[in-house]
Amino acid sequence: MAAPLARTAGPPAGRRTPDRRVPGGPGAATRAARGRRRAAAVLITPFFALFAVVMIAPIGYALWMSLFQERSSGLGFGGTRRVFAGLGNYTAALSDAGFRASFAHIALYCALYIPVMTGGSLALALLVDSALARAKRFFQLALFLPHAIPGLIASIIWIYLYTPGLSPVLDGIQAAGGSWDFYAGDHVLLSLVNLSAWQWTGYNMVIFYAALQAVPREVIEAAVVDGAGALRTAIQIKVPMIASAVVMTVLFTCVGAIQIFTEPKLLNQRGAPSIDTAWSPTLFIWKAGFVQHDYGLAAAASLLLAALGIALSFLVTRLGNRWKAAA
Amino acid sequence: MTRTSRSFRTLAVTAAATALGLLATACGGGDGATDAASDGKPVTLDYWTWTLGAKSTVDAFNRTHKDIKIRFTEIPSGTEGYSKLANAVKAGNAPDVATIEYQMVPEFASQGNLLDLTRYAGDTVRTKFPKSVQSLVTFGGRTWTVPYDLAPQLLYYRTDLFKKYGITVPTTWDEFRKAAEKVKKQDGGVRLASLPKNDPALLAALSWQAGGKWFGTEGDAWKTGVDDTPTKKVTAYWDGLVKDGLVQTFTGYSPEETKARAQGKTIAFLGASWSAGGMKTALPDLKGKWAVAPLPHWGTAASGNYGGTSYGVLKGSEHAEAATEFITWLTTNKAGVEARLADLESPSSALPADPDMRKVAAAEFDTGYFDGQDLYGLASRQADTIVPGWTWGPDQMDVYTAIQDTTAKSGFTAGVEAGERKAESGITDRGLKLAN
Repeated sequence: MAAPLARTAGPPAGRRTPDRRVPGGPGAATRAARGRRRAAAVLITPFFALFAVVMIAPIGYALWMSLFQERSSGLGFGGTRRVFAGLGNYTAALSDAGFRASFAHIALYCALYIPVMTGGSLALALLVDSALARAKRFFQLALFLPHAIPGLIASIIWIYLYTPGLSPVLDGIQAAGGSWDFYAGDHVLLSLVNLSAWQWTGYNMVIFYAALQAVPREVIEAAVVDGAGALRTAIQIKVPMIASAVVMTVLFTCVGAIQIFTEPKLLNQRGAPSIDTAWSPTLFIWKAGFVQHDYGLAAAASLLLAALGIALSFLVTRLGNRWKAAA
Repeated sequence: MTRTSRSFRTLAVTAAATALGLLATACGGGDGATDAASDGKPVTLDYWTWTLGAKSTVDAFNRTHKDIKIRFTEIPSGTEGYSKLANAVKAGNAPDVATIEYQMVPEFASQGNLLDLTRYAGDTVRTKFPKSVQSLVTFGGRTWTVPYDLAPQLLYYRTDLFKKYGITVPTTWDEFRKAAEKVKKQDGGVRLASLPKNDPALLAALSWQAGGKWFGTEGDAWKTGVDDTPTKKVTAYWDGLVKDGLVQTFTGYSPEETKARAQGKTIAFLGASWSAGGMKTALPDLKGKWAVAPLPHWGTAASGNYGGTSYGVLKGSEHAEAATEFITWLTTNKAGVEARLADLESPSSALPADPDMRKVAAAEFDTGYFDGQDLYGLASRQADTIVPGWTWGPDQMDVYTAIQDTTAKSGFTAGVEAGERKAESGITDRGLKLAN
């Protein structure tokens, strides 16, 4: 992971032209090439085997399932039959107000969460990078620690802290004469962002921090000699130099954030009024598949979400490359 | 990324094709199902449930039966449990026997997850169980499951705290409201009861008690009435209590709900016959301080069913006959009923639907927790007041989530209105016939 982040003065390793001079003449060269290709085939087959089994096959199966609907008649006790629905499940998903609303929910969530989390971890990484040598290791570990706790457990802990009657935090707020409802309609999104940010800020901070270690010290020294202060060095020198890491992190965060499931699911179970059963697209898919037992609709909705994920990845990479080129 | 060379692409395609080939071979192998009974060995049945006392019941059955062995797996109750069952049926690895609540029987049967048990258990259901229970497991002229228990609604209350606040046990909902006002007036931190916004099954039972009928059938078509007049009376009543701050709205079956009961901040709760079993383990320190009464009513004694379970054989089982034997033993045999109540870790207090078994259960139940009060006698009398004519729907889960989502946002009345819309669309979306 560190290799693409480091900026070396020489030509990039990947683009070096292969050494074509093979001893023994042209016949030997083709034989060697064939041998190499065979070796490559042997090495690459396991990847494609797994890729086919865990990616291509399930997607293909989902695509197939998304084309069918289960139908009964009368009271429904005469059994069900599978009928070809064409794009029926896709139009059903897209015309479902709940499904459309779920995208609005995650759009709002991403708009809040991604800047807060990425900004937070970048700020922390820059702070740790300029801190004293001994404190560095402590902060690195302390900030990473939340990520070591499984997401489900973290959610349960936070929900405990959010719940009136159980939460020592709320007891404290009440004792101080204040009041706060973590589940109230306009607060719950903040509670959710807080929960996710707590889990991921430290993780991304470590990535940024690692990238910062690859920034050549001479460049920073040069900036200092030129009279740049610590803040200016951080914003104008360090951040642009770790642009690749930032873009990669934002990409991963986007893909992860649109699939948010555990946190809203638990908040829904705890009765947070504005987190309904199909609050996020993944929850909608879960509900379609496991509450309504409508596998066709669930498959169609999953593929629509996957399409959004691909589009978003493409967009982030595009914008990221433009920023990197400018930086 | 550097451009991939042509040879690399050919390579990739070959590799992928090989991999898919391997996958296809792997999926094709081994599908020889055999009937274990034919070779003289005992039939092994898989049994999935979440009910209390299940382990002792299975142990007792295995001890006394040579040719059928039960393999018991505990699964979660509620939506998760039913998802697990439905998915297992789809995947072809469903258990033979599972607990199906009455509220899920039409949905499970109409989605093709249950075997038709008419041939095996039709007579048992017809001869052993009251008519009102038969109608909960018989649809389209076929018997789908065998009933186990009834869940008449009961009011559990703290005798010491009722005395402290000077209230008598309310018998009608009017008295209940007055009692709630009296409690709140004396101690702002204490409430008479809590009505969870996330327990539509309780709302259904309250509507049932009031005479509501959420579903019905008319020939070969469904009728819906999730927001019918009696139901609206119930939701308006509870919306009023919530608005005036007379009841709490803790999440049902949550730690905060239990904590409030343990601390005496909620001094009564709306339960059913089965609630008593869990209290011994959840609130052991309050032994002797609780008593049970019929649930308050709207003028004449009446009850709904708050829960209630039956047993079904899942589609794909090759041992329907053996499975029915086990189910019949569970529901109508003295030993089966006794074993369930004798479980030390999670004793059940379910009221058997088979009248002969009620006496068996009553004799076995330890009334020490309730200071000797005859819980089974009370529950039996209350069961006789269960309003006949209630039917559960073919899309019950979906209706429940609709009610739950909307209730959390805008109260019980809005909740049942959303439930009605979902009931109708759920029926027509699946191609079923809707009469109203």
